[in-house]
Amino acid sequence: MAKNRTSPDEYTRPLRRILVGLLVVALVGLFLIWRIDSPRVERFRTALVDRMVPSFEWALVPVTKSADMVDSFQSYANLYDQNQELRRELQQMKAWKEAALQLEQKNARLMDLNQVRLDPKLTHVTGVVMADSGSPFRQSVLLNVGARDGLRDGWATMDGIGLVGRISGVGERTARVILLTDSNSRIPVTAQPSGQKGLLSGDNTLRPPLEFLEKPDLVRPGDQVITSGDGGVFPAGLLVGTIVQGADRRLRVALSADYERLEFLRVLRSHALEPITDAGNLIAVPATEAPAAQTEAPSAVGQ
Amino acid sequence: MFGGVTDSVWVYRAGFIGIALGLLFLRMLPLGSMAGDWPGPDLMLCLMLAWVTQRPDHLPTGLIALVVLTEDMILMRPPGLWTAIVVLATEFLRARSTLTRELGFMAEWLLIAGVMVAMLLAYRLAFAVTFMTQPGFGFAFAQTVGSILMYPVIVWLLRVVIHLRKPSAGEVDAKGRRL
Repeated sequence: MAKNRTSPDEYTRPLRRILVGLLVVALVGLFLIWRIDSPRVERFRTALVDRMVPSFEWALVPVTKSADMVDSFQSYANLYDQNQELRRELQQMKAWKEAALQLEQKNARLMDLNQVRLDPKLTHVTGVVMADSGSPFRQSVLLNVGARDGLRDGWATMDGIGLVGRISGVGERTARVILLTDSNSRIPVTAQPSGQKGLLSGDNTLRPPLEFLEKPDLVRPGDQVITSGDGGVFPAGLLVGTIVQGADRRLRVALSADYERLEFLRVLRSHALEPITDAGNLIAVPATEAPAAQTEAPSAVGQ
Repeated sequence: MFGGVTDSVWVYRAGFIGIALGLLFLRMLPLGSMAGDWPGPDLMLCLMLAWVTQRPDHLPTGLIALVVLTEDMILMRPPGLWTAIVVLATEFLRARSTLTRELGFMAEWLLIAGVMVAMLLAYRLAFAVTFMTQPGFGFAFAQTVGSILMYPVIVWLLRVVIHLRKPSAGEVDAKGRRL
């Protein structure tokens, strides 16, 4: 049979053209569906990642570990210098520790005076970073904790020090963290001490800019940035970083979290704030509901 | 790798899937591509374009679509869009396989460079039309330039490691069919 297998005729037959056309239409259709109704497709994506990536784990772990070992081995070279430096830092830290202890005691006393109750629900789940987003244009990591550990979308993720990102996409065994540097990340923050509120919006650089400040003049480089909790999804008061002025004269945030080594991440369990929906019935108490609400109250209050 | 079996298309197809999975795996390693680093070349794209140019009969369109769609899903790209563009680009190259067979390598490289730039522009146009945030043009273009520079290396590797090259004139396969 003298059929020419690689002749272009093979690839321009009408039937083949129609089939390829249909394939392309289906793919573009998938993209449009994703664009219009992304939660459904994203759920499918999460399920796929949840199934595929843990099956890679046996190989991911040794490769990562050996790469880390090479890194660590390189650092042996300047071990002596590091040691000297650490000693000096330790000296300084001792002084700071004293100061911190005193402040802690003072803080505890003040809190006691004010009868502050810390939120007991702010506990955390710790997860290990399994995989990277794998793309220079998306900044996210995959954690080995998921819905079976009670994770939910939108929860804050920190390393030991600062905020790292937000959970976006929870599978049964895995969860994806969109880092603050991703161009889709928007976090409401407050700059201290001025208390100016703004939006930290990632732009795929290491130092995301601070936008929508009401009075940017009040914010100076060196100010501390914490989450503001606006919008109710994110707990307030988590350390994000400090303000720096970028080369483009914009206010940017140097993140406190160590983005070079994201290994163990803490996912903070934040429960949705109970919304206050009624206008408040202090002025006109509904006659029928009033007794039920005050069963515990002493009788003197009612009169 | 499998030099003994020079003409079993299925072995090459399996090899392609294996290399694709390996590349995907390497990109997922949590060794941290930091934000703001220069993006490296898209090796997957180089591999597919090089393979299709050398031997279009090895990679059926369905296989390419499947592999790129998986990559889309895992790497958090908008699903389907890049796949559609890659399928169209490979179809374009397939339809010109007799042409590229006769061209010298420089001309082939130029053609591939043009295709890659066109793919980038189409991708970014689709992003702009659907109002999605996209990285800066220079940043994305750096990746395309990297891919173009990487292309000859990939072609050379394919030739040396798995003996993949364009069939010469009058070459026949194991069953005596003309290639």
